[in-house]
Amino acid sequence: MVWLVVAISLALPGAMLLTLDNLRPLIPDLERPAQVSVMLAGVLDLEQAEALQRELATWESVEDVTLVRRDEALAVFGEQTGLSGLLMSLDHNPLPHALLVSSSAPRTDAALSQLVEAIDALSGVDRAIIDNQWMSRLKQALLATERWGIALGAAMVLGAILALANTLHLAVDARREEILVVRVIGGSPGFIRRPFLYTGLYFGAGGGLLAGVMLWVLSLWIAGPVNALFVLYGSLGQIQGPGVGYPLALIGLGAGLGWLTSWAASARYFSRLEAS
Amino acid sequence: MIEFERVSRCFGDQDALRSLNLTIEQGEMAFLTGHSGAGKSTLLRLLLLLDRPSSGDIHVNGEPTSKIRSRMVPRYRRRFGVVFQDHRLLFDRSVHDNVALPLVMAGFSPTDTARRVRAALDKVGLLSHEQANPAVLSGGEQQRVGIARAVVARPEFLIADEPTGNLDPQLSSEIMSLFEAFNQVGVTVLVATHDLPLISRLRHRIITLHEGRLAGVTAQ
Repeated sequence: MVWLVVAISLALPGAMLLTLDNLRPLIPDLERPAQVSVMLAGVLDLEQAEALQRELATWESVEDVTLVRRDEALAVFGEQTGLSGLLMSLDHNPLPHALLVSSSAPRTDAALSQLVEAIDALSGVDRAIIDNQWMSRLKQALLATERWGIALGAAMVLGAILALANTLHLAVDARREEILVVRVIGGSPGFIRRPFLYTGLYFGAGGGLLAGVMLWVLSLWIAGPVNALFVLYGSLGQIQGPGVGYPLALIGLGAGLGWLTSWAASARYFSRLEAS
Repeated sequence: MIEFERVSRCFGDQDALRSLNLTIEQGEMAFLTGHSGAGKSTLLRLLLLLDRPSSGDIHVNGEPTSKIRSRMVPRYRRRFGVVFQDHRLLFDRSVHDNVALPLVMAGFSPTDTARRVRAALDKVGLLSHEQANPAVLSGGEQQRVGIARAVVARPEFLIADEPTGNLDPQLSSEIMSLFEAFNQVGVTVLVATHDLPLISRLRHRIITLHEGRLAGVTAQ
């Protein structure tokens, strides 16, 4: 019973961490260098645009510059929107030449803003746009999810600690008479505490082991549909199981919790006993 | 040698012991008597450092116990063998394991432990019950197991709190003879008891407490 409570309390945060581990490689966009769209002034001709492209390419904070010619842009726009016919009727192309600038600067908001400002200040540039809002949103959403996971995990671990503490308190209380005798005849606190530390270790490590098994079974169970989903999304990735690391970490965590909880529970009991 | 020097112990406005001066010589056997609440148990608790005096000090072989830090208290207590009125045996283990407890605590090897346990049980006449559960023994036998546990680690001092409280006169007399036998091999023995008719027949000092004070010492 105690094993099961500890196992469930540890398996849930473990499953959450495993899920995050699996999600991380699915967000390759975050790893791609940030791109700045630079709209050039409408009066700039192709030569001037190419000159600007060459200049930007020499910048240290710029990795790559691609020129999008105005007629090319109009064609793509017409194709994607289905408005080619309407666009053909325009007497001139309203789109300017544009540059797509990949940043080699660190992926911080401040570094990107600095680059955008520098490009914006160039003559011939109408405006430089960086669509980093979606990125910020995604980042914040991930951060919020992670924190939610940590909070939930902490609550579950606290539950495990309370279950262990209650069990150990009962175990200590059941041997009250023995503790009293051993104390009077010269048993050291370490000697008195030892069996309870082993009890804590037994329940904690056992719970951790069971949590590892649960995680393993769970990942096997959901692997089929999740892998199918990956294929449907065109990803070549496969679900990553808990491996050896997760069960080992869970056993270690369980054992540590069991040991510390039994230490605390027995210390609390002994100090009360001393006071009485 | 145990010396109480102006030892007092107060609980709120109640004085359990009042400025007690008392010396128990090395190798002596003495009885501690007095009515309930006279301070006998308080005195024994203070001696075993289960409690500390409100004032005064207790010296054991010249060493002031007030200087003993809590970390060193278990080691200090191992110098005493303690016999309780209600035996305080652990019924979830055998007679052998009960008696072995102080040796296990002190880290004796299993072979040495077994040898000493058998010697102690032999002294109290219970060698044949070594593997029995203490619950199946009579009151007198249980008390003798308690005594074997108290002496198995060969303590300097043997302290007994009402060891014959639940026994008939015949068994009580046997228990006292056991204490005398240990005293004869050099152990200092202090027995707190109500059993005046029994102890008055024995030729040992009787220390009487009354309301926390020393009411009299009878040398015999």
